[in-house]
Amino acid sequence: MTRLRAAVIGCGAIAHEHLPYLSSSPRVELAAVCDSSKATASFMRDRFRAGAWFTDAASMLEEVRPEVVHVLTPPQTHAALVTMSLDAGAHVICEKPMTGSAAETETLLREARRRGLALVESRNLLFNDLAIAIDRLATNGKIGSVREVDVLLSLDLTAGPFGDLNLSGPGVHLPGGAVHDFLPHLAYLFLHFAGGPETVDHVSGFLENRSGNARVGFDHLDALIEAGDVRGRLRVASDVAPPAFRLVVRGTDRSAEGDFYNPFLRIEGGAKIGKRAPLEQIGSGLKLARAGVTNFFDKVRQHGTYHGMPRMLDAIYRALQDREEPPISEVDMIATARLVDRIVALGEEA
Amino acid sequence: MRVLVTGASGFLGREVVRAAADGGHEVVALVRPTARLDGLAWPTSVAVLRGDLRQLGDWTKELSRIEAVVHLAAAPSGDLPTQFSGTVVATENLLAHVPMKSLRRFVHVSSFSVYDYASLGFRGMLTEATPIDPAPEKRDAYTITKIAQERLVTAACEAAGVHLVVIRPGAIVGPGKDWGFGRVARVGAFDLIFSPGARFPLTYVSNCADAIVKALDAPVPAGSAYNIVDDELPTYGQFHRLGRRLRGDAVGSALYVPWFGVTLLGGAVSLVNALLFRGRAKLPEFLDRRRQRVRWRPMRYSNRAARMDLGWAPAASLEVAVRSLREEHEG
Repeated sequence: MTRLRAAVIGCGAIAHEHLPYLSSSPRVELAAVCDSSKATASFMRDRFRAGAWFTDAASMLEEVRPEVVHVLTPPQTHAALVTMSLDAGAHVICEKPMTGSAAETETLLREARRRGLALVESRNLLFNDLAIAIDRLATNGKIGSVREVDVLLSLDLTAGPFGDLNLSGPGVHLPGGAVHDFLPHLAYLFLHFAGGPETVDHVSGFLENRSGNARVGFDHLDALIEAGDVRGRLRVASDVAPPAFRLVVRGTDRSAEGDFYNPFLRIEGGAKIGKRAPLEQIGSGLKLARAGVTNFFDKVRQHGTYHGMPRMLDAIYRALQDREEPPISEVDMIATARLVDRIVALGEEA
Repeated sequence: MRVLVTGASGFLGREVVRAAADGGHEVVALVRPTARLDGLAWPTSVAVLRGDLRQLGDWTKELSRIEAVVHLAAAPSGDLPTQFSGTVVATENLLAHVPMKSLRRFVHVSSFSVYDYASLGFRGMLTEATPIDPAPEKRDAYTITKIAQERLVTAACEAAGVHLVVIRPGAIVGPGKDWGFGRVARVGAFDLIFSPGARFPLTYVSNCADAIVKALDAPVPAGSAYNIVDDELPTYGQFHRLGRRLRGDAVGSALYVPWFGVTLLGGAVSLVNALLFRGRAKLPEFLDRRRQRVRWRPMRYSNRAARMDLGWAPAASLEVAVRSLREEHEG
């Protein structure tokens, strides 16, 4: 099997989640890393045993001629770097959100298709244990027909670099502010578990700044979505504890609930549930206790929220090697970007 | 000299600013935009420059007349990307904008953390000649970034011909930073004290600040490094007893674990990690054998080189240092 020559542009926090896979996979030769900071680029080259380091993306693309480029820079720089990488003949894996609007995303995807190259936006949470487990339940018909998909992200967006008032300018250059940076996760989770509708019928709700922190932009979202028979509520809250990333999928037969930060899976319902509901609750409690133990050991062995990332990357690289369609389709990416657009529009309406 | 002090509003920085101004230097104190300076009581001669080294901004335009730098800014907590940005990238930005060619001296404040403790034996002597840890990735983000930062500064000073002096302090104590009086963890009414017979390599914050200011004009060779610890180094057991005497309300009864027990615990955990987790488990400091060795293995420390070359002597005694911790509490 010939290894694909990969390069990374942008060596910030998310690069620490991509590079362990790239430096250890038999499918990949990590040819180069690039960052505008020389100290960062050279450090990451050493840490992840990359072939070379650069501070200029154009020079890297010209000298290294990578077959796959990971664009991991801040979102407002993605479009130019994705285009530059496609022009250099490389497939591109881009961190979410690929751009600030569906129109820009569609343009980039069109450009990739025209060149016969793959352009994939990251969907790492779909490759986490929790998402895979709920997927399996849905596929096996245990949930019945899905009717509701709720996603809640509770995380203080003002506490991190997005809201750090020592730094000037907006925390993130996106129309939906800090919420926008996480929105693709919420949108693709909804669309995936709703059965993959290409469009949604109705979006309503609020996208607001409740903290008063100007740098963070929007830090609060409460959106109701309707797509055919499926409805959902997507929320981002910066002012509630504890941090959680909750996913609930409710169907005509059963409901499944879990959390990406502190994983557990609770399944309720079934044909025989009624008077036996207390027994089911006791069973759920025991499963929750078991999840706590698993969770503890997962934290010890560093099986964290990003554990789906290497699985996602491996699936993408396998598809590229086998000349097959990547596991994240163009249709899914466009549907996600369009839903994100409509949610961001709630902020403009406000 | 016109001296730029980075990290000036931090725990050590505020004392360095005061000591440098008292020493007759014209001080430019670089502080973060949101830093609160009320209560610092700096002399009026101190010029305050607001800016964040992680991001280029107006601060870069105010450095043209700087003659010397005391570089203290670092991010000592958070994950690796956070510490790397706040320590290494911040330093890279500083080095790119300070007038290196005209600098008379660069005093870089590093840490004991950079040393290779595995190279020292039981009760070995930590000196400036002790090698730098060749495998910091096996320790923690702080060690990784402080070593990367020191190398970056050294390379830039060598390239520009700037006279560099590196200061490596031990554990800096002072009002607001008492290191839990040596406590590893609180277990009910008890304080867990590891290796009670090992020396705690402390330096009182004003003593350390004095050493840093001395390094600004001491006649020492370029590239010299100096370890800073005070003269009187208590053992962990003694330090905890002092704390208990002063702050009985906040300090529990001591539960001692001798070094042999500590290392045995670390060894057992290391074995379990290797067998069950293929060595991937991220352990807290008190269970991690490598980091246990840094913190609690009985060793000897010396400030001889700093005393001889910098002409420095710790002015505040251990008693003064510990009393200041009590005054802070009472205040």
